[in-house]
Amino acid sequence: MSTTVTQDMSFLHLITSASVLVQLVMLILILISLSSWWFIFRKLFVIRYEIKKTDDFEDIFWRGVDLNALHQRIISSRYESGSLERIFAAGFGEFTKHPAGSDLDAVMESTRRAMRATYQREMDYLESHLSFLATVGSVSPYIGLFGTVWGIMNSFRSLSSVTQATIAHVAPGIAEALIATAMGLFAAIPAVVAYNRYASRTDQLATRFESFMEELSNVLQRRAAE
Amino acid sequence: MSSSVPRNFPHSEPRSLLAGVLAVLVHLLFIALLVFGVSWKDHPPEGMMVDIWTELPKPVQEPVKTQAPPKQPKPVPEPVKPEPEPPKPEPVKPEPPKPEPPKPEPPKPEPAKPEPQKAAVAAPVKKPDIAMKQKPEPVKENKPDLEEQKKKEQEKIKEQEKQKELEKKKELEKKKGLEKQKELEKQKELEKQQEIAKQKEAEKQKALEKQKELQKQKEKELAAQRQREQEAKAQREAEAQRAAQQAAARNQITGEIGKYKALILAKIRSRIVMPPDLPGNPVAEFSVTLLPGGDILDVRLSKSSGHAAFDSAVERAIFLSKPLPLPPDPALFNEFRNLNITVHYRE
Repeated sequence: MSTTVTQDMSFLHLITSASVLVQLVMLILILISLSSWWFIFRKLFVIRYEIKKTDDFEDIFWRGVDLNALHQRIISSRYESGSLERIFAAGFGEFTKHPAGSDLDAVMESTRRAMRATYQREMDYLESHLSFLATVGSVSPYIGLFGTVWGIMNSFRSLSSVTQATIAHVAPGIAEALIATAMGLFAAIPAVVAYNRYASRTDQLATRFESFMEELSNVLQRRAAE
Repeated sequence: MSSSVPRNFPHSEPRSLLAGVLAVLVHLLFIALLVFGVSWKDHPPEGMMVDIWTELPKPVQEPVKTQAPPKQPKPVPEPVKPEPEPPKPEPVKPEPPKPEPPKPEPPKPEPAKPEPQKAAVAAPVKKPDIAMKQKPEPVKENKPDLEEQKKKEQEKIKEQEKQKELEKKKELEKKKGLEKQKELEKQKELEKQQEIAKQKEAEKQKALEKQKELQKQKEKELAAQRQREQEAKAQREAEAQRAAQQAAARNQITGEIGKYKALILAKIRSRIVMPPDLPGNPVAEFSVTLLPGGDILDVRLSKSSGHAAFDSAVERAIFLSKPLPLPPDPALFNEFRNLNITVHYRE
């Protein structure tokens, strides 16, 4: 991507010979890129894990196990539990707290509130850092562009002292400045791709959670009416 | 109450460390791609760096041994085995194409030495054989000792006789030497006389030759003078011709200039609206500055005719008559750059 004009223009040489500000921009971009890739992989693992957990839990739940036993099992392994398990635990826990014979509507209302609160927290957990990926995707090209503009400005300013201006005077400066843009794009493109993918995945999970909440409400209401 | 799930207990995030490691790996991969990609583009110029490879030939001794054989066959075709091996060094060397020449140099002496050594070893082995054959011969001669003693006595007698003969010869030679000296002295005197005569003759000849050379030089000088005179004449004639040509050209040019000046004047005259009834024959002179192509840049009245009406009429006519007719040869334009136009009221 960087133009090699002369033979001593290796990639490292280009970076080390850049101006201080451009080097600073490059450093920032490297850090941004590293953290963005870190979050990309973290969210990848988290969302995969959540989808698997949700699949497993729905499978177990609709098979018709004893809800009390399921609740106990989830509470005993609360740190490994998935989001849907937590929502179920919160709702069922709230439902069982009410003494038998209390107002059904009030019980169902509080159960629904408990589930919704947990759902909000879980969605917050699932969507954490996605905003960071979005920010990286939209901002890092501009940071890279800033470094490039600055580097090109400098290389053109150095032309003013030269009477016979040739492309060889400008080319190294432009090449090293363009590295900043390349780094910005390198950070931005995967971040944007990952953001879009993870946002759609979390949306899918959210709809699954919501539909499960409604279904659980129905199940609990039926159970209370019996 | 104890069965309720705590509101905020953290998720145990799966494999967050692995994620960090993977992120670093991705960057390392990217950087490696960049560095290798860029350096790959740089490879052709790097091929010029010979210094890197000058240090390496020492470790690469294996190809040296194998490379030597193909050059050995010239003197002795003994090492037939190493010949199939040479292909091996070729794959090793394609990377340093230039250092190849230096490498073969060291191996040359190595293989060369063993061959002469082998030859030397073989030769001395054969020589003793010859020596052994030679030695037995004297051994056979030694066996008859008596014959040898007789031969020795005979040889001694012969030597005595030879000495006597030599003494006689020496005496004869002394006599001959004296006679020869006398003859030599006579010959020398004769030779001296002859040499003197020859010198005199040579001097005479030299004097004659000098006279001849002087005559030749005089002739040459005369010929050169004639040639110079002829050349001078030719030059004069050529100059005269050139002058005539130049004069003709000048005449042509002046004729052309005069013709076009007349044309210009005629054109101007044709455009003049003459003011009627002027007394006498007034003359107006204008200096006109022309542009190439006949356009008029400037018109100045250099000498008035005394009648403003006539002057202005002529000036208007000059402007009206542009473009003025000019000769087609642009070299002549300099003659028309500043024109002096004189217009008479009556022709």
